[in-house]
Amino acid sequence: MKSSWIQRVSLLTIAALLFAISATQAAGVTLQITANAVKGGKNTQDAEWIEAVISEFEREMKAQGQDVRVQFLPAGIQDEDYKARLALDIKGGGGPDVIAFDHFWVPEFAEAKFLMPIDNYLKAWPEWGQYFDSMKAMGSFKGKTYLIMGGTDVRMIYYNKELFKKAGIPVPWQPRDWNELLAACRIIKQKLPGVTPIQLNAGVEMGEATSMQGFYMALQATGGWIYNWNTGKWIVKSPGLLDALNLYKTIYVDEKLGDAMLQVSPKARDKSFALYQAEKIAMYVEGTWMWSSVIAPSGAWGIPDRDTRIGWAGFPGSGKPGAPPIASVSGGTGWVINPNTRHPDLAFQLLAKLNSAQARIDYWLKKPGIPPRKDLADAPEVKANPFISETTKRLVPYTTYRPGSPLYPEVSYQVQLMTERVVTGQMTPEQALDAYARAVAEIAGDANVEIAK
Amino acid sequence: MSMRVRCDNPIISRRTAATFALPTLVFVGVFLAFPALWAMYIGLTNLRLTGISAIQPRFVGFANFVSILRDSFFHNSLRITAQFVLGSALIGQLLLGLLLAVLLYNVKGPINDIVSSIVILAWIIPEVVVAYLWVAFLDYDFGLLNVTRNLLGMPAVNWFFSHPVLSIIVFNTWRGTAFSMLLMGAALQTIPPSFLETADVIGASEWRKFRDIMIPLIRPHMITNAVLITIWTFNVFGPFLLTGGGPAFATDLVSIYTYRNAFKYFKLGYGSAISTIILAINLILAAVYMKLARRGRA
Repeated sequence: MKSSWIQRVSLLTIAALLFAISATQAAGVTLQITANAVKGGKNTQDAEWIEAVISEFEREMKAQGQDVRVQFLPAGIQDEDYKARLALDIKGGGGPDVIAFDHFWVPEFAEAKFLMPIDNYLKAWPEWGQYFDSMKAMGSFKGKTYLIMGGTDVRMIYYNKELFKKAGIPVPWQPRDWNELLAACRIIKQKLPGVTPIQLNAGVEMGEATSMQGFYMALQATGGWIYNWNTGKWIVKSPGLLDALNLYKTIYVDEKLGDAMLQVSPKARDKSFALYQAEKIAMYVEGTWMWSSVIAPSGAWGIPDRDTRIGWAGFPGSGKPGAPPIASVSGGTGWVINPNTRHPDLAFQLLAKLNSAQARIDYWLKKPGIPPRKDLADAPEVKANPFISETTKRLVPYTTYRPGSPLYPEVSYQVQLMTERVVTGQMTPEQALDAYARAVAEIAGDANVEIAK
Repeated sequence: MSMRVRCDNPIISRRTAATFALPTLVFVGVFLAFPALWAMYIGLTNLRLTGISAIQPRFVGFANFVSILRDSFFHNSLRITAQFVLGSALIGQLLLGLLLAVLLYNVKGPINDIVSSIVILAWIIPEVVVAYLWVAFLDYDFGLLNVTRNLLGMPAVNWFFSHPVLSIIVFNTWRGTAFSMLLMGAALQTIPPSFLETADVIGASEWRKFRDIMIPLIRPHMITNAVLITIWTFNVFGPFLLTGGGPAFATDLVSIYTYRNAFKYFKLGYGSAISTIILAINLILAAVYMKLARRGRA
C-alpha cells in the first residue's frame, strides 16, 4: 500500500514536470531587452520606440516560422544604478539578452568579459558599412566590437529666452568668453530674484553628468583635458584644470550664480530639471538629450513651447590665449548583447532590428540626435531639423570624447568629487586639485600621470 | 548501560540530540558562516565588479585594510556614525523610550492605548514608507514643515542641507523609540508593586522612586536594550533613503560608506574589508556592554 502511494506521487510529479517542459517549448523562445527608460518617465520616447520595434520583430519572426517573444524590462533610475544592476546581473550569470548601454562603460565591462563581441555577426550585416568610423570606435575595445551606437550628442547651454528678455539681455545670445557668460549670470541674479542664473553640474550625486555636462565643458573651454592622447597618461595638474575649478568657485561660492545646495541634494538631477521646467533656472549646460527628451514637449519635464521659449548657445571658451572659441563634449548610447544569452543568434537579429535603417529613422523622429550613420545623416527629415543640423555644424568641430580606458569611471568619480569639494566650500580649487592628483595617481599608478604646463 | 544514558540525559540520547541539531548546524554553516568567511577572504583581494580584476582578482593581503584605515572618508563615516548612535540610539531611543514607559506606567485606559498605538505604529510601518514620509515632511521645496513655516511667515529651512545629521537622528529616533518603550515597559512590569507601595507609605518622591527603585531593578534590561539598539543603529541603512549619504558626505554612515564602495564604485574587495572592520567594531561594542552587564549583576 505504502509503496504504491509513493509510486503514484512520483508518477504524477514526473508527468507534471514533463508537461511543464513541453509547455515552455511550445511557448517558443523568450528574449529579454532592457533600457533605462520607462513610459511616462525617464526616456519615455525610448520606451515607446522599443515596444513598437519589438512587436514588429515578433511579427517578422513569426512570419519566418519562429515563435519568439520579446519582453521589455523598463527602468527609470539613475544611470549609475542601472549600470550596477547590469554588472551584478551579468556577473551572476543572468541578465537581459539585449541591453541599452552607454558607450563609455564598454572598456570595463569588456575586460570583465561581461559583453559579447559581435564582430562575426557584423561581417554578415550589410548595414554596418553605413556607420561612421568614429562611431564604430566608440563601441569597441582592444580590437573587438561590442556595441552598435544608437546616436551621439553634443553639449551646449540651453537658455530660457523669456527670462533673458525679462532681464533685458538681447536674444539670440552667444557669449564669446567666460566674462560674457558670467556677465549674463550677474544680470539675471540682479534682475530676476528667485531665478538661479546657471546650472553647471557639480558633485558626485549627479554622477557622470557632472563630469560630462559640467567639469569637462569648463575644462575643454580652457583648452585643457584630463588625458593626454599622445602619451596615454592622465593629466592631474594643469593651468586649465585650475581655471575650470575657479569657474566653479566663481559661480557657486564667490558670487552664488548657481545653487550649490541643489548640487549635493538627493535626486539633484531630477530636481534641477523640474526647476528648469518651472523657469527657476535660466541657463542649463546639457547635452542634445536635454532638448530631444527632457524638455521635449512630450518629455518627462516637457516644455510645450520649447522651440520658441528655449534657445541654445555654444559653451564659450575661457577667453585666455590658447582657449578654443567654443567647447563641447560628446558621448552616446547604443546596444550590446549579454554574453550569458542562450540565444546569441536571435539576440543579434534583435540587435540588427533595433539598428535597422527604418528603426533608426523612427527613433530619430521621436528623439532627434546626431546621426551615427551616413544613411540617417542624409535622410531628408534629419536634414530638415534646424536644431540637429545647426548644432552638428557649429559644435561637432569642437567636440571631444572620453578616454576609452577601463580606469576612466574611477577617474571620473574623482572629477565629480573635486567639483563637490569646491562648490561646497570644503576646499579651495588648489586643495581640491591636489587631492585629485593624489587620488588619480593611486588609481592609475604614478607612472601613468603627468603634470601639464 | 541504558540506565547511564538515562542519567546523563533523561529525555533523549546525546546522539539523537546531535542528529536533531545537525540540519540547523549545516544550515548555519552553509548560509551564515561560509558567506561570512568568504567575505573576509574577498576583503584580502582586489576583486571588483567590472574590469580586469573582476575575472582575475589578485590577493593583496592587508592592503585594503591599510587604505581603509587611512581613508579620510572612513574617518568621516565613523565620526558621523558615532554621533548618530549616540544621538538616535542612546539619547533618542533609549532615554525617550524609558521616559515614555515610565510616564505610561501609571497611566491606564485609553490614553495609554492611544499613545502606545501611535508609537508602535511608527515602528511597524515599512522603512521605505517611513523614509518617504520624512522626506515629505522635511523637504525644502514641498515638505510639510516648511510649508507650515511659510504660512507662519518664517523662512523655509533646507533641513537635509543645514542639519543633515540632526535630520537622520530625529528620523531614527522616531522610528525606533517604540522598541525601547515596549522593552522598558515590560521591564517595569517585573517590579513587585509592594516596593513602590512601601515607598509611597514612607512618602518617597516620584524622583526617588524612579532613581532608587525602578532604575536599579530594570538596569539589566536597559543594558540589553542598549546592546541591541546600538548594534542595530550602527548598521542601519535607512537614512540612505533620506539623504543618500549626502549632502557632501555629511550623513555618510559606515553602512552607506560600505555600500558606496562595493556597489557604486564596484570595489567588492575593498567593501568586504570594510564589512570585516565593521564586524570587529560590533563585536567590541557587544563585549563592552556584556562586561557592563556582568559588573551590574555582581
